[in-house]
Amino acid sequence: MALAALLTSAVSAQWLTNKTPNVPRTPDGKPNLTAPAPKMADGKPDLTGIWNPNPRFLVNLAVDLKPGDVSMLPWAEAVYKERAAGLRAHEEPDANCLPQGVPKIDAAPVPWKIIQLPGQFVILYEAFTQFRQIFMDGRKLPVDPNPTWLGYSIGHWDGDALVVESNGFNGKAWIDQSGHPSTEQLRVTEKFRRKDFGHMEIEITINDPGAYTKPWTAIETPTLLVDTELLEFVCSENEQDIKHMVTKK
Amino acid sequence: MFRRLILVSVLFAAVPAGAQWFKLPTPGIPRTADGRPNLTAPTPRGPDGKPILSGIWQMNGKYLQDIAADMKPGEVPYQPATEKLFNSRRNGAGGKNDPAARCIPGMPKLDALPYPFKILEAPGEVIMLFEGFTTFRQIFTDGRELPKDPNPAWFGYSVGKWEGDDFVVNTIGINETTWLDNAGRPHSDALHLIERFRRHDFGHMDIELTIDDPKAYTKPWTVKEDLRLIPDTELLEYVCNENNKDYEHLVSQ
Repeated sequence: MALAALLTSAVSAQWLTNKTPNVPRTPDGKPNLTAPAPKMADGKPDLTGIWNPNPRFLVNLAVDLKPGDVSMLPWAEAVYKERAAGLRAHEEPDANCLPQGVPKIDAAPVPWKIIQLPGQFVILYEAFTQFRQIFMDGRKLPVDPNPTWLGYSIGHWDGDALVVESNGFNGKAWIDQSGHPSTEQLRVTEKFRRKDFGHMEIEITINDPGAYTKPWTAIETPTLLVDTELLEFVCSENEQDIKHMVTKK
Repeated sequence: MFRRLILVSVLFAAVPAGAQWFKLPTPGIPRTADGRPNLTAPTPRGPDGKPILSGIWQMNGKYLQDIAADMKPGEVPYQPATEKLFNSRRNGAGGKNDPAARCIPGMPKLDALPYPFKILEAPGEVIMLFEGFTTFRQIFTDGRELPKDPNPAWFGYSVGKWEGDDFVVNTIGINETTWLDNAGRPHSDALHLIERFRRHDFGHMDIELTIDDPKAYTKPWTVKEDLRLIPDTELLEYVCNENNKDYEHLVSQ
């Protein structure tokens, strides 16, 4: 569905060829995406930019893991099997234009933009035109907060890694399209590392004792998009997919 | 329409008080001796002398219902077809046709939602984060021009610049299906919005909004909407598509 929406975006949409400033370029003007990662004035990495997820992690966050790395509780295993077989496609939040949750929104097959400001970072997601706030002002994660789709996020620097910790999820989100489940006990840790100018790694740890016997970790690999801009993505506009999807009666 | 508004109010009131980050003191706020925010302190300014607009703001709710709430009868310069369409939508008669009823927000109504929004000033752009619909606008301040004949969008395409103490935002490329207000005032795809953000003091701001739409109105017209700063709190998550029960009860023309 999301891919179809991307393909139907008119190529005449504007600002898709505006030059991104401060991008190192080769003599022929092409972005040099293997140049060193940029730094902020305070010496911290500058993660600012539009990043394009690697969609293989959207389907299955555990795609690179070994059998046994993801150890589900029996109920979670049963749910996952049905979802992975496509028997519950109709229930996927994404199919209902509901937020994809964290970390799935990081892997949505459309780009997102990091804005790095004093006291907080913001991620603007093209997917559903939604955002997350990541507070860097030293506040603690809330205790027993109102459950949400996108959670509550705080960040700090650990060397060159931005470590984002999130809690307060509603347990309705799927971790990925194949349907790894989550519960309200979910805590997500995302470690963002900009390896060079054009390449990022996000080390994602899923810690959810409500669904898994132990935490598990996957690494996503978004790439920088330059000389472009986010498009508007309004899921509820002319959504035609869900009536064709199956659901388990 | 009014049923929908009531439901929206109930939803707002039902947000549990236990949700967190509501009481964190916002840094940099001038306070009186008893610790309360001094919302009539002077407008904060950046090193360049320009007003700082950052903060969480809430619009006076009357403009969501009626963008022309402060105008006299006859002052809105409708084209005849526009007035006819507006009259057909009044008193909730077209509630089902309002995209917002299907959880699709649009400009300029987005600014006037009865939920706060946060302004953040970043290099090259001003970001507006809206609690309503958990969505955002990007207003580019890097000197780019408005696009020519862009793909029509619900929020349009916005560029901003400073004119004295006013932050002036020009927006075009809004699809013609959005409503200017809940009362149902229409516009065409020729709509050009001019928003002048003017922070009068620490706690008060106006958006002077000009509707320039020659296909729908005989001349540009301007309204002034007032906002207040909401200190010591944070935006909540708002997901319209979750359990939206209004739509089936709304009527259409």
